[in-house]
Amino acid sequence: MRKSLEVIAVSVLLLVLVAVILGGWNLVLQGLKSAGNTAIKSALMLVVSFIVIGQIQVLLSRERMDSWLGKYSGIKGIAISAIVGGLIPGGPYVYYPFARSFTEKGLPAYILIAFLFGKHVYDFSRIPMEITLIDPQIALIRNLITLPIPIIAGLLAEYLLKNRSVANLFSEGEI
Amino acid sequence: MTLTTAVLSAVALILFFVNRKENGKQVEGLKIGAKEMWQCLPLILGAFVLAGMIEVLIPGEFVRDWLSAEAGFKGIVLGTLGGLLLAMGPYAAFPIIASVLASGAGLGTVVALIASWSLLGLSKAPFESSFFGLKFFVYKSILSLPFCLAAGLIAHWIELLLR
Repeated sequence: MRKSLEVIAVSVLLLVLVAVILGGWNLVLQGLKSAGNTAIKSALMLVVSFIVIGQIQVLLSRERMDSWLGKYSGIKGIAISAIVGGLIPGGPYVYYPFARSFTEKGLPAYILIAFLFGKHVYDFSRIPMEITLIDPQIALIRNLITLPIPIIAGLLAEYLLKNRSVANLFSEGEI
Repeated sequence: MTLTTAVLSAVALILFFVNRKENGKQVEGLKIGAKEMWQCLPLILGAFVLAGMIEVLIPGEFVRDWLSAEAGFKGIVLGTLGGLLLAMGPYAAFPIIASVLASGAGLGTVVALIASWSLLGLSKAPFESSFFGLKFFVYKSILSLPFCLAAGLIAHWIELLLR
């Protein structure tokens, strides 16, 4: 978070400088006005989005997610893993260690792929932010278009890696 | 916007009551949400300013030639590349993507940008390579690339069909 803030701060400074050179302070003011408008327009939605995010986090515990994985195989297992990936709340500090634990659980490698693609593509707790900060229509179209990606990626991994487990894959040194 | 806020509010209310019934952690959920909002607020505000500056600085000609629907596959490739380089979390990345959209980028470019940011974003590289190895990260990225381009192409066709 701190690093992102630093990147944003440096980028803002750079762009303000460019704007001053290209169009003077008037251009900077235009940019700030646009930022202010966006902030005002999305303020209420942001508050509601964070309420949704908080409620999702307490509803979906890691234990609950855990119990859904490994119950099914094949396309059913892929679909469930992708959905669990989308449901698991939290950032990379949470879901990468969780995914790494698949090694001890003896889960097939395609389940790991479906899980990671599910987290990256679906991430249901991110949707309120996508709707609020980008655009509801774009968010809908994007989510519909990318919906099959984790399933296709899981099926491809199942075809390529057969039934090799995550542990097996890493111990063979193939990956 | 009002409809979206109404829908989100309804979702928040439903989740609140589900948590009350399921685990009694609804107040904890509110606290977690408030804490996260407080932590992310400087980032979101900073990203709004950055997005505003991008919006006024992107040259119209560049958008028309490289990012608009008319740019076609060029825009999709550029969107995919942009998403890869947008190595930051959603609170910072989404306002920037919104500013690209507001400047006149095509649907294909924007969808490719979001898909690529979520699948290929370089911010994942340190985590993926440390948990699963560099080779895994590279293979997964190679597998992800066609998906981002395909998502952008489908969005581009949808935009052309809707015209």
